[in-house]
Amino acid sequence: MLIELLTKKYPGMRLWLTQRISAVMMVIYLMLMLIMLAIKQPHDYASWLDLMSPWWWRMLSLVFFASLFTHAWLGVRDVFKDYVFNLRLRAVLQVTVDILLIAYLCWVCIILWKL
Amino acid sequence: MAKKTLIRNRPKNLNLFTIRLPINAVVSILHRMSGMVLFLLIPALIWALQTSLSSESSFDRLGAMFRHWTLKLLLIGFSWPFFHHLYAGLRHLGQDVHWMTTLNKARFSSRIVLVLGACSMLGFAYYIW
Repeated sequence: MLIELLTKKYPGMRLWLTQRISAVMMVIYLMLMLIMLAIKQPHDYASWLDLMSPWWWRMLSLVFFASLFTHAWLGVRDVFKDYVFNLRLRAVLQVTVDILLIAYLCWVCIILWKL
Repeated sequence: MAKKTLIRNRPKNLNLFTIRLPINAVVSILHRMSGMVLFLLIPALIWALQTSLSSESSFDRLGAMFRHWTLKLLLIGFSWPFFHHLYAGLRHLGQDVHWMTTLNKARFSSRIVLVLGACSMLGFAYYIW
């Protein structure tokens, strides 16, 4: 049943599930972040860098930001669909947001790469 | 053709002041609005991440900024959309698995979301001040 809903026949179902999965991943990362902050108690630059720079934590951070951008992409898309009735304007807005989010992802990749 | 005229002749009530939103609708529209606010805050978040990580002096500069009362107020103000979006989103996830979906239970969880959001903001304000 669930598998059938996720096939190409129902693209909306997949977007719906993507919205949920990205949300759950962000919640998990935020909880891990709270735990990390509680354990390491970063108070200066060195300890903050020490928290953020392990390769596995950078991976998790990247997953968090990728989830955030996917979540934002789907959410803003729904808002545009509901309130922007001029199709041309909606297309322009959506492409702008898409480009912005891709740029954000590149920006985050650069920040995490340089650590 | 007949269908089109039918839709066009439908009565509309777009006077927002005569529409009393039920609490579930309030939580829903606030979820959407807080989501848009959070979307607009993304560049600030990435900028703060970059500034905190790029060098010791920029880290200290950011720390000094966050200790200023105006930015603290801003942070507290923006913490509310975050908490509301988080709690309303968790409520949605619960409803997706058919948890608390009857009207009365949904109203109850809406109230919980609003109260938790306000409490979290106050707790956050107390913590950073």
